[in-house]
Amino acid sequence: MQMKKAFKAFKRITSLCAAAACLSASLITAGASEPYYSYSYDNWNDAIPAQAGYKVSNTYTGYDLGLTRLTDPEDDLYISRTAPIALNGPKDIFFESVKEEFWIADTKNSRIIRLDKDLKLKGCYTGVEGAESGITNFNEPQGVFVITEDDGNTYMYVGDTQNSRVVRCKITSENECECELEITKPDSPIYTSKSNTFLPEKILVDAARNIYAVCTSVNSGSSQFNYLGEFQGFYGANRVELTGEIIRRRIRRVFASDEQLKSMESAAPVEYKNFDIDEEGFIYTVTEAANTTTDAVKKLNAAGYNIWNNDAGNEYVFADSGANTYDASTNTTYTTRLTDIDIDQHGFINILDFVTGRVFVYDEFCDLITIFGTSNTNSDQKGSFTGPNAIECAFDNVYVVDGTKNDLTVYTTTLYGSYLKEAVLLYDDGRYVEAKPYWNEVLARDGTCTFALMGLGKACLSEGEYKQAMEYFKDAYARRSYDKAFKYYREQWLQDNFLWLFLVIVLLFVLIITLSILKKKGIIKKRVHKQKKQVERKKTKKELEHEAQLAAEAAEKAAEEQAENSENNEKGEDK
Amino acid sequence: MYEFTTMGWLKHVIFHPIEGFEDLRWKKQGSLKVAIWIVFFLFISMVARRQLTGFAFNGSYTKIFNVVPLLVNSVVYFFTWVIANWSVCTLLDGEGRLKQICINSAYSLVPYIVGTFLATLISNFMVLDEAIWVNAIYYLGMGWSVILMFQAIKAVHQYTIPKTIICIVLTLFVMLLILFLAILLLSLFQQVYVFIYSIYTEISYRIRG
Repeated sequence: MQMKKAFKAFKRITSLCAAAACLSASLITAGASEPYYSYSYDNWNDAIPAQAGYKVSNTYTGYDLGLTRLTDPEDDLYISRTAPIALNGPKDIFFESVKEEFWIADTKNSRIIRLDKDLKLKGCYTGVEGAESGITNFNEPQGVFVITEDDGNTYMYVGDTQNSRVVRCKITSENECECELEITKPDSPIYTSKSNTFLPEKILVDAARNIYAVCTSVNSGSSQFNYLGEFQGFYGANRVELTGEIIRRRIRRVFASDEQLKSMESAAPVEYKNFDIDEEGFIYTVTEAANTTTDAVKKLNAAGYNIWNNDAGNEYVFADSGANTYDASTNTTYTTRLTDIDIDQHGFINILDFVTGRVFVYDEFCDLITIFGTSNTNSDQKGSFTGPNAIECAFDNVYVVDGTKNDLTVYTTTLYGSYLKEAVLLYDDGRYVEAKPYWNEVLARDGTCTFALMGLGKACLSEGEYKQAMEYFKDAYARRSYDKAFKYYREQWLQDNFLWLFLVIVLLFVLIITLSILKKKGIIKKRVHKQKKQVERKKTKKELEHEAQLAAEAAEKAAEEQAENSENNEKGEDK
Repeated sequence: MYEFTTMGWLKHVIFHPIEGFEDLRWKKQGSLKVAIWIVFFLFISMVARRQLTGFAFNGSYTKIFNVVPLLVNSVVYFFTWVIANWSVCTLLDGEGRLKQICINSAYSLVPYIVGTFLATLISNFMVLDEAIWVNAIYYLGMGWSVILMFQAIKAVHQYTIPKTIICIVLTLFVMLLILFLAILLLSLFQQVYVFIYSIYTEISYRIRG
């Protein structure tokens, strides 16, 4: 297993290098606008160059968002002359789809910022009125979740981290909100935390208005609260990743005495960092710890069971999957740290990698669609990140909040990307033929797009053009699909050529039978005879040699005898 | 008793696994030329298996084709086996000579080669549901070759069955040893080469001044 992983990692490194080399060669002439190389993974899991599915649209700082209004005394949103007009370490962004508003947790400034769909300031909340604990101001809130109920009221859920509370508040005006519910550290003995704290970071609310909070140094999953704020237990913990260290501990445990056992620390899983909920109520989690391979990305059902479980025989691969990866363009080895996940309105999964600043887009079946974004290791440009903290999707755009550069980057879909996404949506619905024109557009722009080859292959398969389908699947290196196409192709071929085949077989039979009859009657000489004759000839030849040798020996003997005799005779004569 | 042509002997040996090799020995038959050809075909069959197996059945990484591992898998392993077996059995009162071991071992590989070619051929007409036929042919050839190889070693050295087993296990171990030493030697020579080359570059720089 380890060997296999190592091999995979090696393969990845070499292929990434190759991809980067190809791209750097091509980009010199193309004059790229993006500060990174787009790539994708093929069916071998090798990195290959690809077209960009998204491009940088714009970057918004606090000034661009209109935060100066907060310091203008004549403005409705005026707070104070000293209110910061820049973002400071924003940790979360949320898009509320009913009113189409963006909400940003401006963490270091201890406030929540509300923006309209054009990213213009609409409101700002520095605290909450009427909380039970009496604390008004937020203290470094890291998570925000907003729901507009059917009655038109908007409710904001804030993970008020340093105040150790989660609040649900009703929005009453552009800078005021009323506390409805305040959740503090649960008294329940079930609640355990390594540092005995309650520091909610990310907040999520499901259809039944249960509240989930990811808390610092809690590795049993997210804390789940019901509508009334009662602690319900933990939800969807990660499992312990099986490493050499864990195996060593398990072996030691077998031999350890009870006292030794007590002093041993138990293996704890790493906590997941962030989550999102889709329209069907599934919760998706990402684990930020470097190089996680177990449970790095999960899709949890209501029972907290992971649907994307590779141990159950699936083969889901996310991001630059786990192992250390080499980046040829910067000559560095990096680890992946998945920091945020977002499911957009089409069901596409967007995963943000903190280290590389890359966004990985997958369809609902976890097939890679596109990769974009970068960290600014060598140059600070639009579309490169220093500390990408959160990702959100809306209007086919992707919004990434950078907590170090303190800005908001908007990516828009390229033409290629929009064709690709349209095609994938039809493909995932099983409407292969309808997706065909989109796939052709995609393939015209990127001839090695594996997904497009698969899509066209399946379209051909459902249209009955098996030969063409086989070619597409071969290019995509999809062995299973190729096999399916080949099966139909073979069937068709046999049907088309049945008469011809039948005739050939009958003729062969007739030929064999006549030959055997002719052989029996002795009209054709059997091959066996020939062989025997050859052997006989050889034998006689050998025998002849042997005989000749024998004869020669006999002659020699006779000669010797004769010589002896004559000698004797001579001796006798002498006597 | 038996009188065959060269190929006739090959056929006789393959289809008479119990006494074929004994006959071969007593009649002092078997051709080294045929044996070399068989080893060559072993190599060809391995290349064919990697490159020509039907697409659905071929799991090998087709982006790169490197002939060296295949060469090692066939030719190098075969001759290492022959030399290792000879080295071991000379010490274990084996009666076989190097040439005989080579001939007998090569003859016993024929079913494997034929099985590989056949499996490669039919995998182009089969779908994955019928994979059992492809595998059956391949493993049938392999199993047959293993039995023949056992008989070949047994006959060439005039061993009993337990002694043959011991001898084969020891041969495998000696093969490892030989390959290990070969790699060691190779890397050693490489270092010597690098050393000499660096001296050469150093001197050439000095001369240029």
